[in-house]
Amino acid sequence: MKLLSSYIKEMKIAARGFYFYIEIGMAVIILAVLLFAVNEFPTSSAKEFIYYDMSKEIKSLMLQEELDDGTLELAEPTQIKMKAALFSVKNKETNETKTYTYDEEIYHLDTYKVFDQKTGKLQKTIIETGSEDDLIRLAWQEKTIGAAVGMNEAGEASTRYYLQGYETARFQNLLYILQNESPATLQAAMDGMTITKLENAELLNTRQSLVPLLVVLMGALMGFFIAIAYIFLDKDEGVIRAYAVTPSTVWKYLLSKLLVIITTVIVSSSIFTIPVMGAQPHYLLFYTLLIVSSFAFSSLGILIATFFDSMSKTFGALYVFLIAMMLPAFSYYVPSFDPLWLRFFPTYPLLQGMKEIMMKSTDVNYVLLFSGVYLAGGIFLFLFANLRFKKTLAV
Amino acid sequence: MISVKNLSHSYGNDRKLAVKNISFEVENGETFGFLGPSGAGKSTTQGILTGLLKLQKGDVSVAGYDISRVHNERFNTIGVSFEQSNVYSKLTAKENLQFYAKLFDVPTRDPMELIHLVGLLGKENDLAGTFSKGMKHRLTFARSMINNPELWFLDEPTTGLDPAIAANIKDIIKEKTTAGTTAFLTTHNMFIADELCDRVAFIIDGEIVLIDTPSSLKLQYGQKLVVITYLKDDQVVKETLKTTDEKDRLRIGEVVNLYEVQTMHTKEATLEEIFIQVTGRGLV
Repeated sequence: MKLLSSYIKEMKIAARGFYFYIEIGMAVIILAVLLFAVNEFPTSSAKEFIYYDMSKEIKSLMLQEELDDGTLELAEPTQIKMKAALFSVKNKETNETKTYTYDEEIYHLDTYKVFDQKTGKLQKTIIETGSEDDLIRLAWQEKTIGAAVGMNEAGEASTRYYLQGYETARFQNLLYILQNESPATLQAAMDGMTITKLENAELLNTRQSLVPLLVVLMGALMGFFIAIAYIFLDKDEGVIRAYAVTPSTVWKYLLSKLLVIITTVIVSSSIFTIPVMGAQPHYLLFYTLLIVSSFAFSSLGILIATFFDSMSKTFGALYVFLIAMMLPAFSYYVPSFDPLWLRFFPTYPLLQGMKEIMMKSTDVNYVLLFSGVYLAGGIFLFLFANLRFKKTLAV
Repeated sequence: MISVKNLSHSYGNDRKLAVKNISFEVENGETFGFLGPSGAGKSTTQGILTGLLKLQKGDVSVAGYDISRVHNERFNTIGVSFEQSNVYSKLTAKENLQFYAKLFDVPTRDPMELIHLVGLLGKENDLAGTFSKGMKHRLTFARSMINNPELWFLDEPTTGLDPAIAANIKDIIKEKTTAGTTAFLTTHNMFIADELCDRVAFIIDGEIVLIDTPSSLKLQYGQKLVVITYLKDDQVVKETLKTTDEKDRLRIGEVVNLYEVQTMHTKEATLEEIFIQVTGRGLV
């Protein structure tokens, strides 16, 4: 009954304050952006710069088949304004360095559009340069990879790549293998692999793939921030001291705050998740993970608030924490970047779990396992915050 | 109702004590004044008695509960009026009282009755955040009575209030203490203490200097004085003379016989004067 009274009181205060409306307003803005500004299937804007180091006849032979089946289409020439430039290029094989100097000029380059054979959608644009030096200059100016396709003495296709220098060794090796291993060797290697295909595995489209990240941001991390803000609002008003001299317990006071935050998080996350995802997610798991993760992060916020006596003094800790908690987003968007240490960040399994929930084929065990972890962690943090609060009531 | 034995408290790891080995008792139904200047240790003592500060050293029992142990139910019989107003600014006056009423396990008073009592009738549906400082203070004071406390902690109950409202608050305190409520009054206002308290303790630098009744202190330390203003060579002269001093008594007779007396009245020593006399320090 006391917990219910505290919860109702906190909801009234939240409804009359601005944090609640900031969260709801943000959710509405996110929904509008997702629906109207993010394309579900964006068209590819990838460009490739290629120089065909071969005779016109051989080049025509190479391209004709694709031009005939419609996957390649000659487009309007591309006009590119070239800046004056001075740069050096190092050959990885010979270690020789060559310096290039150019004046400002305008290129008009033959352009091809490449379409997906099945869907017919635009995949990429190929821009052909007139010389290898032009290719190098374009790769330098446009900060992209250039490829010079030629024929070796044995009459086989060979490619020289011009990279930017920051590509990973893994990527360089991949290019090397693709170009140097014979098709037979590659086929043998692929035959030796065991590939398990996930049944009904369907990837999220661009719009949907943003939802797990936004849920983590608006749920766990906003909950963490709002918990701290609510505690300091009460500290400023001194009402914590008034509560402390009633027969009610501190944990009821803290839990009522968390329940308000969880309510807000449920409402705000639902505002953009349901319209974007429709009936696809496993909603029971979604709300379970959302509630336990909000509980854990808000408890952490309350605990941190007990170590400071004003909101402004928490900013340093808040900033570091929020930046650190967003690091798993890199792994989420760039799956090849998935170091072991990143998996220990609490937002990592939350992001992956939310992604699982949003997909048609949900790994229920993974989600339930981490829901349990968040619940246990949340309870621990909550009990610790409760202990700290009792000690710091008069501060 | 309150028993304090050898209580000491320190805020830091340093050895500087905010409260140094103090002992006192407050009887049932008594109004006990805890008087001293800012930083004397009054609020620290009250913080420990109300459970806001952890007991570090000493034996303290409040309303029959040993406060070194957790007994939240003891607050059913305790009321605390804070010096700094601490009400929810986003709730109305009525909602503030209604919420606190629900936190107690004992029958509570009607919020509207309390609002009327402290002169906030007509403002019950206004957000407390829109209240003046005095109005917030009255709401904080009203809240401390919501559970009909048997033991009432009052921290500077009239500080910062205009005289009419302060008089109203004093009347409410008198009425409740007359009805049997025990009050622990923390203040640096000696006039309030003189008017309301059965006994007072003077505390300075964390130590209790004396505990006695105001009347006994006046008898013990006070001096009866006569203040005379008279005309001498067309100038108004003012003299303060002790009735207990032979030389001053003769001087009173001389002034009356020789000059035209304008005013003459006796003056009793105030608690503040006694405090300064005993401690050698003022109350600010």
